[in-house]
Order: sequence, then C-alpha cells, then structure tokens
Amino acid sequence: MFVFISQIFSVLLAVIAISKSYVDFRSRLESLQMFVFWTATWIAIVVVAVFPALIDILINAFGGGRAGLGTFFGMAIVFVFFVMYRMYVKLERIEQKLMKTVQEIALREGLSHRNQAERVENIPDSIHRR
Amino acid sequence: MINLESTEKADLPISSGLLAVVMPACNEAAVIGQVLALIPANIEGMSVFSIVVDDGSADATGEIARRHGAVVIRHIVNLGAGAATITGLKAARALEADVIVTMDSDGQHNPAEIEPLVRCLNEGHFDVVIGSRILEPAGMPLTRIAANLLLNALTYLVYGKIVSDSQSGFKVFTSSAVERLELESAGYEICSEIVGEIYRKNLCYKSVPVKPVYTDYSRAKGQHFLNGVNLILGLLMRLMRRT
Repeated sequence: MFVFISQIFSVLLAVIAISKSYVDFRSRLESLQMFVFWTATWIAIVVVAVFPALIDILINAFGGGRAGLGTFFGMAIVFVFFVMYRMYVKLERIEQKLMKTVQEIALREGLSHRNQAERVENIPDSIHRR
Repeated sequence: MINLESTEKADLPISSGLLAVVMPACNEAAVIGQVLALIPANIEGMSVFSIVVDDGSADATGEIARRHGAVVIRHIVNLGAGAATITGLKAARALEADVIVTMDSDGQHNPAEIEPLVRCLNEGHFDVVIGSRILEPAGMPLTRIAANLLLNALTYLVYGKIVSDSQSGFKVFTSSAVERLELESAGYEICSEIVGEIYRKNLCYKSVPVKPVYTDYSRAKGQHFLNGVNLILGLLMRLMRRT
C-alpha cells in the first residue's frame, strides 16, 4: 500500500513539474535544453518509482550487489544535499547582487540633482553654511 | 571587573554639525508622520534631519514622510530591515551627517530619547551608543526578554561579542564609525552584525537604557515568530560560513 501511494505521489509531482516546465518553455522563460533535461529527469524518477526493481538491476550492473539499496539512497541524499548547498550559495549571491543594485538605484535617485531642490528644502539651513 | 556595557576612548567631542535620524520603513503610513513630528529639530547643538528609507512600501509611507520634511530614499522592491538600514547609513554619510541615529519607524522608539543617547556619545567620546531595552526591562513582555537573551547568546556564538540588547535598532553612531562598518545583512540579523562589527573594528561603545513604547501597533509590527526563526537561521548560516 505504501509503495502504491509513493508511486502515485511521484507521478503527481512529475506531472506538475513537467507541465510547469512546459508552460515556462512556451512562455520563453526556459530554454529547450532545460525543458528536455527536466522532462527526462522526471520521467526517470517516475520509471524508478513504478519499477523499483530497476534499482537492484542498476546496482548489480555496477557491481555493487552487496552494497544494496542503503548505499544507493545514501549517495542520493548526499547528492541532494550538495545540490541544496549549491543552490543556497547561488541564492545568497543573487540576493547580495539584487540588494546592491536596488540600493544603488535608491541612493542615486534619492540623492540625485533631480531631487536637489527637495533635498535642500528638507535639510536644515545649517548644511548650506558648511 | 570587565565592563560588558562600555569601552572607553579619549577623543574630542562633537559640538556642532548635522545629525541624521535614519528610519527604515515598510508600510508605516499609519504612524510615520507622528514619529517624524516628534523628532527634535535641534539636538546637542546639531541640526537634525530625518532620512526615511521606504523599503518597497505598498502604502503612502514615502509620501507622508516627505510631507513631514524627511529625505526619502526608496527601494523599488522590499529588501528587508537590514538592507534599508545600510541604505540609510550610506545616505546619511553622503549628506555629510556628523552623528547618525538609527531608530524604528513604527513608534517603538521614543524620539525624545535621542537626546540622552547623543549626549552620552558626545560626553563619553564613544563611537557607538546602543539604546538597550534590557538594562531597565520594566514593562517589557517576558517573551521578548527571553527572545532577546536567546539572540544575545546566538550573537555571542556567531560574532564573539555580548551586549545587553543585541537586537536594538535604536543606536547612535559617529560618522567615522559608520564609515568603518562593513555590513551586508539584508534582514533583521543586521543588529547582530553591527555588534560583530563593533567588536571586529574595536569601536568604543556604551549601552544606555531606553524605554520602548509598546502600543498595539508596534506589537503587531514588531518581530513575529517567523521573523525570529528567519533571524536565527540567518545567524546560524553565518556561523556555518565562518567555520
């Protein structure tokens, strides 16, 4: 029963992910290569979820018969964490770049000569004496 | 005994010039006008002007602030309290302020308390004065005291410096102290980062008690549980990057 539920869950997630990827591709938010990559990845996930015996065949084919499923999933978790780490680092960099850009625009516009009149009006007289 | 609440320095006091009050604000149209109206025009012989950093507000925060005589710097998207504070500090320096005050725009900080903090900065020749809610915590909700103590401990863990109120947004800096700060936090962890910078740059500081004004509005606008979780996660991420 648990295997069946997880299979349904995987198929559902794959349908959502592929359709989202397709919509992004149609809206030109995603390239053809990315669309093909994510579609292939999710199809592979669904195939493995529906035919779990494939993992045993795969492990045996790579000569890891004794290692078993535990090692396979252990490696998968390490890989997922590595991907998460890379995404975190990239996200942080993008956030920092966004912050600097927005701040620069804000300061340039807020303190620009265009707003000079308003600034002079708002700052006390003493600044003009400096 | 080691004094955790201050370090000392012998420099000439600031006796005249400009004082900038920096207020990060996001959707504070309901109170920003009242807060700005209470800021004194002159403090310790210095002319005072306000800088409101409108952090992508969806309401009329910026417009109301401008009407009340503040210099308004607007972020086109919401970046967070930390980013808005950094922008405000940069603007204050660009406008040649000699002393820079940071305070919340939700009315939690009493503008009348700017004067004693600035006096302390001048008379004690400090680089930074921190308005501490913990030194005289009467009236402060117990949950906030507990949360502050937890965040003080976390700040110590990440930055190696303990102060009585690491999360206080009510601070006074000399312009030269602000110049030395290297800040990059976009969110609420900016307060802890400033404490870390005070330590790293060996700045002279003192914590002075302040009385926060807890109204229904400031309670609702203050840090929520999820903000606290984000703050802790942000500090832990910094700790991980340092190790």
